[in-house]
Amino acid sequence: MQWWCAAQGVPWDWTWRPYPGVWLFVALLGGVYTVGGWRHRARYGTWDAPTKAFWSGVLVLWLALDWPVGALGAGYLASVHMLQFLLISLVAPPLILLGVRPLVRAEANVWQRAVARRATHPITTLAVFTIILSATHWPPLVDALMVTQVGSLALDLAWLLGGLVFWWPVIVPVPKRLWLGPPARIGYLVAATLVNTGVFAFLTFSDLPVYAIYELAPPIGSLSTRDDQRLAGLVMKMGGAVVLWTAITILFFRWFFEDERIERSFPLRADR
Amino acid sequence: MSVRWVLVLFIAAASGACGSPSERDPGAADDWAGWSLDEPLVRPDFVLTDVDGEPFDFAAETEGALALLFFGYTHCPDVCPVQMANLAEVLRDLPFELSSHVMVVFVTTDPDRDTPERMREWLGRMHPDFIGLRGSLEEVRAIQAGLGLPPPAIEEDDESGDYFVGHAAQVIAFEPDGPARRVYPYGIRQRDWLRDIPRLLGEAGGG
Repeated sequence: MQWWCAAQGVPWDWTWRPYPGVWLFVALLGGVYTVGGWRHRARYGTWDAPTKAFWSGVLVLWLALDWPVGALGAGYLASVHMLQFLLISLVAPPLILLGVRPLVRAEANVWQRAVARRATHPITTLAVFTIILSATHWPPLVDALMVTQVGSLALDLAWLLGGLVFWWPVIVPVPKRLWLGPPARIGYLVAATLVNTGVFAFLTFSDLPVYAIYELAPPIGSLSTRDDQRLAGLVMKMGGAVVLWTAITILFFRWFFEDERIERSFPLRADR
Repeated sequence: MSVRWVLVLFIAAASGACGSPSERDPGAADDWAGWSLDEPLVRPDFVLTDVDGEPFDFAAETEGALALLFFGYTHCPDVCPVQMANLAEVLRDLPFELSSHVMVVFVTTDPDRDTPERMREWLGRMHPDFIGLRGSLEEVRAIQAGLGLPPPAIEEDDESGDYFVGHAAQVIAFEPDGPARRVYPYGIRQRDWLRDIPRLLGEAGGG
């Protein structure tokens, strides 16, 4: 029995398989959050928006890591592997961060001391995300890591870490940066829509399959290795665009309505 | 880490993701992907039935061509579809003047389930030019023994009546001048075939 999804090279069937490592990881995340909430008794036990966001993020993470998505992505289809990447690095992290934001705010002084100011600077976070994105799609590394459970776990953790780092300046206002208002955050996300272009082009326009693991995997259905790889590139580009532009739209309308609210509260009286 | 260093790493990562073109250039490496045989295999002389029910004389029909001979079965869940699909993709990539000299011959090790119709449909999905051959299990065993391959091992049925057939996983490459000097085990990638097939076609002429 495997504890984490990794490529096994055995024919795929739809028989459910347990992955206890995934369950433990998800339970650990939930446990840490619950303990953190307990430390701030005022919030403990409430089912408010941040709590809902956090558990939604954990649910997304669980779906991405467990059977069948985790198993299919680990050893059979590059397109599912890319869907996992999207869920783990772009969908789950903002939800998790929305959930922990109140706790981080409450501990802001501690966090400001503990986390170097530069580590959460948008240039740094975008660079870290780009490096992780590029490295974790480099074929020799993927082929080497995905055949072992520890390697596969390392790749998943790198994606999650990269996603948390990337979304931090957008979602968690710690440390406080006055210049990082909605326009700057929108600009940051627009810039982020470009960072996956290299990997997307590499996958979509390669003449040959780039990952041995998927080229030599027992086939599922009639999808050819090359079509699967092209689909993987599209999932990365289109899926990433959907997530990022959704976030941009939300930020924009929040900014817009916030401005309107301020104008209504303090109307300009320059006409007399 | 200064912002300057972060920018340097950022640019390096963004540009490095595309990889080096030479990695994907089939002609870049000098080594062969196939395993070299100590003693070349003589092109076997056997006659089996093709998917149209016509006799197919392997030695005569493939004379002068690069004949890639594989023993497998269409219900195979892993090795056979991967080997055949990769060869099919590569044949489509090769220029016609090369691909027209390559013959892929698939001999079934499961004649009970591999009817001519099923083989035609399965192979046709891979590549229209693939040749499917059937014979009795005894005939196939004799051909494989002559090539030094293990005989097919038919496993017991499962509850649904399905069964696996253990078989040799390599493709034997009979070069245009007759013998096979190399075999291609499971794990050979499309880029390996693209590099080796032109050389297999040219090797007989000293290429």
